[in-house]
Amino acid sequence: MSSDSRFVPLVLKTDTEPNMIKHFTSSACKFFTLVLVFALISFTNYAQEISKDPAAISAGQALFNANCKACHRVHQKLVGPALAGVYDRTPSIDWIKSFVKNSSAVIASGEPYAVKLYNDYNKTQMTAFSAFKDEEIMNILAYVKAETDKGPEPTTNAGPTPPTGTTPQDGLPSSYLNVILIGMVVILILLLVVLGFLVSALKRFLDQKTLSEEEADVVNPTVTTGSIFKSRGFVFVVVFVTAALGFKAVINGLYSVGVQQGYAPKQPIAFSHKIHAGQYEIDCKYCHVGVMKGKSATIPSVNICMNCHNQIKSGTLTGDTEIGKIVKAYETNKPIEWVRIHNLPDLAYFNHSQHVNVAGVECQTCHGPIETMDVVRQHSLLTMGWCIDCHRKTDVNTKGNAYYDNLVEIHNQSKKTPMKVEDIGGLECSKCHY
Amino acid sequence: MRFVTSLFVGLSAAVLLTSCGAGGEDQGTEYAPNMYHSVAYEPYTQIVDEDAGRWVTSIDYPDGHAEYFNSNKFNPNRMNMRESAPNTVSRNKNGWLPYRLGKDSLAYASAHMKNPLDSTAEIVASGKALYEMYCDHCHGPKGAGDGKVAAGVKIDGVQKGNYNGVPDYKSDALKNISEGHIFHVITHGKGLMWAHGSQISPEDRWKIAKYVKTLQK
Repeated sequence: MSSDSRFVPLVLKTDTEPNMIKHFTSSACKFFTLVLVFALISFTNYAQEISKDPAAISAGQALFNANCKACHRVHQKLVGPALAGVYDRTPSIDWIKSFVKNSSAVIASGEPYAVKLYNDYNKTQMTAFSAFKDEEIMNILAYVKAETDKGPEPTTNAGPTPPTGTTPQDGLPSSYLNVILIGMVVILILLLVVLGFLVSALKRFLDQKTLSEEEADVVNPTVTTGSIFKSRGFVFVVVFVTAALGFKAVINGLYSVGVQQGYAPKQPIAFSHKIHAGQYEIDCKYCHVGVMKGKSATIPSVNICMNCHNQIKSGTLTGDTEIGKIVKAYETNKPIEWVRIHNLPDLAYFNHSQHVNVAGVECQTCHGPIETMDVVRQHSLLTMGWCIDCHRKTDVNTKGNAYYDNLVEIHNQSKKTPMKVEDIGGLECSKCHY
Repeated sequence: MRFVTSLFVGLSAAVLLTSCGAGGEDQGTEYAPNMYHSVAYEPYTQIVDEDAGRWVTSIDYPDGHAEYFNSNKFNPNRMNMRESAPNTVSRNKNGWLPYRLGKDSLAYASAHMKNPLDSTAEIVASGKALYEMYCDHCHGPKGAGDGKVAAGVKIDGVQKGNYNGVPDYKSDALKNISEGHIFHVITHGKGLMWAHGSQISPEDRWKIAKYVKTLQK
């Protein structure tokens, strides 16, 4: 039967109003066909059984995944309704077929179930799948029925998953090792104490006896521990070692002034790069959109977070507390005050786009293994020496960039080595300080 | 004895200096702090504490704030960045005006919006690079809707949350859509996909549209 026949009532309604014989006859004809079609439909409905054939189910699954999954799930409401039991609650199987093939026509026909559905779903129109054949729709229904009978799977992404317990351990855990070490040290100290007692007891015993000169020398040697401590050699070694260590500490301390390597402040929202960039492999540039275009890599505005978190409302580590903060910021239009980690001094200029877009430097080259960090810390020194070092070692990425053509030509006339950043002014003061 | 004293002084200086390094919450000691902190308003280095850097303050600022403070008191939430003035538009370097069709004009956009870029291999290649930046993690490398965010990932045997509603580009409903349709959907979103117009410039959106069409073949 043709799906068009289902929309005859609409034509009938508008056409019965003009009082013209011609229209009357045509609408009478239409009415007659309609009755016929309805009879046919009700007749064939009994014949339409949803198949339980595994071949039909798997064909339906493939079709469902390719075409329907974007908006429908069997057991879950998404853009469109959950499809479980759809064949029971809709007016008829044929209704489903015509709705799938052209939902807007069914809605326009004023069919009450379709209109209600349309209004219930914020007037979102289902895409017309006019290319579907009837048996394909039946296969999809076979899949839906098979899934409905199977019942809903245990939900996977509702709420935080419980922690997986302790991490698997290889060999002895480090806490045991510590206990064993401490135990051994205690035993050693006890041994020393016992030995000390023994020596003093023996000495007291020997002092009570009259000894020959040789024996007395052994018992009361001229080289005592006291005399060793006072010897020039010992004093020199101690002073040297202490001074060297102190000097090293001073130099290290001086070098750490103005260097923020290792700075890892707590952020207002416990955002984890490990989850987003590491596990979900979201490109850095999806959120840090400025990195190809300007000086700053930019911190994503809340609407970028909400592109995913309008739906993902509960995280694996913190449940909905941290994600809830984003949603709240979005709803109240309040900025999230992130703490800046990489604080280049104001006296130096740095531009991300030159390094990422032109030179093609990976983010990780300077920022380290960001995709493994739950809390971001400053990985590199970000000192001038660190910049210069890289500018001396790195070849300029001239491939496919006409800007560099002349420079490369001039460079090759005088030098045989590849063109480094320092060769084109990468060490000039005014490139970064002005 | 004098030697021992100087040794002691040196060592305590060393101990003091080791606390200059950064780590954890500690930002470390700054060298020449007056030159580190921007006097001008900077969008991403904002000091909101009016008393920050009082000890190096040498200028009498009229409102009495200290050296490091550089937030704009007159903007909402003391932000240094401002939204553009109402009823103004930005033009990009091609002189294009912003895309003005609203979210509900998808049908019009599909029918009438034409891609201003040519289908050169270069443009399709940069469309691919952009696709991998902005679309890949949901729509999947081939546009089958099987990106890691859409499909969800399993970490240590635990299934993590995923983003529902990502279609297959080759499905009947989508395989014949126009580039204008793709451009409009990237700009305003559709179904469960939210608007990406703020992240991706119009040229880049057209480039992505070109590449998406090649994925649908």
